[in-house]
Amino acid sequence: MSKQTQRKSMDYVKKEYKRTRTMPANWYLSSYEYKFNITHMQPFLKKLKEKKLVANKCSGCNRVFFPPRLVCGKCLVKPDRWVDIRDTARVATYAIAYLKDENSEVQEKPMVLVHHDGADTSSIAELAPGVDVKDTYISMPIKAHWKDNPEGGLMDIEYYDLMDDDAEDLNESK
Amino acid sequence: MDKVGIVGYNQVKCYSDANYGRYEMIFEAVRGAIDNAGLKKKDITTVISATNDYYDGRTISNCFTVEVGGGYMADESKVEMDGAHAMLYGLMRILSGNHKLAVIWGGSMPSCYPYHSARLYETDPTWERPNAYVNDITSSGFQMRAYMEKYGLSKEDIAKVAVKNKKNAAKNPLALEESQNPNISISDVLEAEIYADPVTELMVAPPCDSVAAVLLAPERQAVKITDKPVWITGVGWNQETYYLGERDLSQSTSMEHAAKAAYDMAGISNPRNDLDVAELFEVCAHEELIFTEALGLVEKGKGPQLNTEINGDFPINPSGGALGGNPPCATGLIRIIEAVKQIRGEAGQYQVGDVKRAVASGQIGMCAQNNILYVLEGEN
Amino acid sequence: MGRQVAIVSAGYSEHASKRSDVSMPELVNEAIEDCLAKVPSVELKDIDAFVNGNMPAFEGSNIPELWMTDWMGARNKPLMRVTTGGTTGGSVAISGYYTVTAGIPGIDTVLAIAFEQQSQGDTSVGLASVAYGEISILNSLGISYDQLNRLLSAGAAIGVAAYQATTYMSKANITEEDLARVVVQNRRNAAKTWWAHLKMPDLTIADVLDTPYVQYPLRYGMVCPASDGAVAMLFTTEEKAKDMCDIPVYVNGVASVANETAVLGYDGSGSAQLDPSEQLGAMKSADLAYSQAGISFPRKEIDYAEVYAPFPNQELMWVEKLGLFEETTAPEMYETGVTAHKGELPVNCSGGVNSTNAIAASAMERPSEAALQIMGKASNQVPKTVHTSIGSGWGGSLNLITLMAMSDEPKRKWK
Repeated sequence: MSKQTQRKSMDYVKKEYKRTRTMPANWYLSSYEYKFNITHMQPFLKKLKEKKLVANKCSGCNRVFFPPRLVCGKCLVKPDRWVDIRDTARVATYAIAYLKDENSEVQEKPMVLVHHDGADTSSIAELAPGVDVKDTYISMPIKAHWKDNPEGGLMDIEYYDLMDDDAEDLNESK
Repeated sequence: MDKVGIVGYNQVKCYSDANYGRYEMIFEAVRGAIDNAGLKKKDITTVISATNDYYDGRTISNCFTVEVGGGYMADESKVEMDGAHAMLYGLMRILSGNHKLAVIWGGSMPSCYPYHSARLYETDPTWERPNAYVNDITSSGFQMRAYMEKYGLSKEDIAKVAVKNKKNAAKNPLALEESQNPNISISDVLEAEIYADPVTELMVAPPCDSVAAVLLAPERQAVKITDKPVWITGVGWNQETYYLGERDLSQSTSMEHAAKAAYDMAGISNPRNDLDVAELFEVCAHEELIFTEALGLVEKGKGPQLNTEINGDFPINPSGGALGGNPPCATGLIRIIEAVKQIRGEAGQYQVGDVKRAVASGQIGMCAQNNILYVLEGEN
Repeated sequence: MGRQVAIVSAGYSEHASKRSDVSMPELVNEAIEDCLAKVPSVELKDIDAFVNGNMPAFEGSNIPELWMTDWMGARNKPLMRVTTGGTTGGSVAISGYYTVTAGIPGIDTVLAIAFEQQSQGDTSVGLASVAYGEISILNSLGISYDQLNRLLSAGAAIGVAAYQATTYMSKANITEEDLARVVVQNRRNAAKTWWAHLKMPDLTIADVLDTPYVQYPLRYGMVCPASDGAVAMLFTTEEKAKDMCDIPVYVNGVASVANETAVLGYDGSGSAQLDPSEQLGAMKSADLAYSQAGISFPRKEIDYAEVYAPFPNQELMWVEKLGLFEETTAPEMYETGVTAHKGELPVNCSGGVNSTNAIAASAMERPSEAALQIMGKASNQVPKTVHTSIGSGWGGSLNLITLMAMSDEPKRKWK
């Protein structure tokens, strides 16, 4: 907020309040151990090592979940089929966070939601380091950039590269 | 009040450290309940969950459970109390006429966190939490002492309840395995580790992992869904004051109020004759006796004299009660399910003869500050 | 069948960023007193049941009404607690409606209370912990916490809103100026509402655009403040309402439809909400509530709307999704003044969540303010006569939408 607006707002908020007593207390989650089961992800993680992407598919509504999902909420059944999906994708939507780093300088941290071709869900990811995120547009075509030695984890796709596109109508939608 | 029927139910077995993911467990409970009633996902119009942000270690604990809990594109809400309170909200929604099938599920996984320390966050943050004197265990100690002193009862009287419930739990396949003990004796209970004198380990309801789900439907739909609907004919819920020093701990004022409301609604004048079985949520063994008295089953102070075994004068907690497994946010719902099983004659080994009318209760807070009581009736 | 429900009163505490002059029970008490002061014939003993809620993580106190029982006047009374995150207030108001409409013997008058004293706790910790469970799963699947921190810095409400803003802005083809216009309208309205938090009668679009980005495309000046405050609403039956106040407001439709989470799915899976500004849940909520209330042409029949929108893009989006305007035309309506205080369809004349956000209370201030506009008792009363109004709320990860439709006449007989 600019100094000007801040001053304006303070005039209306400021009030002579008598302070109450305060008592320090905390709510910490350090003693909490989250428990989860990722058995349904195993085929997906295994295939990542081969630089291949698989997603699971609900036979009730034919939706394809990438990354795989335990339960299809629409049909309330466990998706039971596996399908291959491509490593090309599109930007579903994006945002830029402004966070302070260790030197308390504000850094731009772009994030995109990636919608893989052939999947019905989007997942959170990063774009290639060189990309200026302000040039990003919705439904921009991108492609997965694989790690050299995939280990079977979600970070095997390090980031997403831009795809060259000659189509003029695509450029217009920028 | 219109008739509302319980048309399906399901409970995941209680485990002290379940080999389940959270979402998997919720899914199993809800899917099982829907299968139990022979319905499908699209029939669900409203979903009420009972979870607690502190027990789930996350803010908005119902945020990510929408899909696994059957809430996708359904009218969804969460009651942050016991599962039995969630059923109250589900009941209201059905009674409003806006909804035709309500799913109520509740549960939590205390194997992920220290349950009794987490209960500390329910105490007054200014006066009681910094001292950490009052939590569910110590307040149970205060209550048990107050109850024993007032009516001149012995520890054995209280331990008898724990023995009965643990023996009953042995017959219940869904009870916590560690609680199932057919050979337990009074001296075992009294010689167990002391939690807060006079409360010992075996008198306290053991927190465990489980999720339970119940389906409700209005009368017209309920008779189509199942041949054996169980009707909710009375409900009462009440909250008394918080500070332990202000309350008479030897009795449960809130349960008395709740029972009066529920009995009036169901037209029960003599609970001892009109009811056949009770499933009560007791955090500690003595609470069962206090509730028995608050429900008007016996005079005050005479709780231990009532034979509450499965074959006794008035069976209480034939399933083992909360002493047979206390999954936070699910226990009240499990009590309701057990009462439904008794009415439908599906309780197996712990079936209490022919049950026409049963009561089931749920509670939250220190020394059962907020109680809820349901009167459930069978078809005939 | 359910009974007809009426709102007879609503009361607020004063909202500010730090209400350090009062403790949480006192804050709640302020709202209850204000609520009951507007209906002189009702005393605390006439209230048959209580429903309430807050976001327990924000104050570090679980189920606070256990120890606040006496301050609420709920001793030896039925009490139910409903919490659904950001929509807590909306859910509490809806549960107040259901408690009355259920027709449980002896329960006619219900006091609904929602409160939040964020200055007591750490809101950012509270918000971040929404996804702790999911983050730990992602971590075990091979994403380091460092990277997760970067990816999910948007994990809190503003993050999902930023994604939503991008899609909405691209669809409606609008600029930040359009967003700022909404902010200006809200904060100027807030200046005329006695309990509001950010009161800025002289704010201009340039002032808003002068602030730095919190998260592109949302600027600091566009984001809601964090407030302390409480709100109370009194629900009762149609028959009793007529004795209690001159113009009872009838609750004719309620809905709280849940969609799956946006941005991040459960268990670290993706989200099928590919377009976070599509909001199927909101549209279904609107369908449900309007069909219950017998509203066939929302654009024509609704006279006033209170929309839960901490961020300006959401206000534009919700008014469309709730059926008040055609898709992507909302920015135009704000520009031409249709939604202004004197406009044809005023929106958020209380200043909205954009000016006052006491998390749990916010979603209840929407229906309560919409009801007060019908009664003619609102602080910033609109000049036109309001017959039908709506109050909405959203929460979770853009996945739960509450909606309450109210009118000065009871539900139409054909349903």
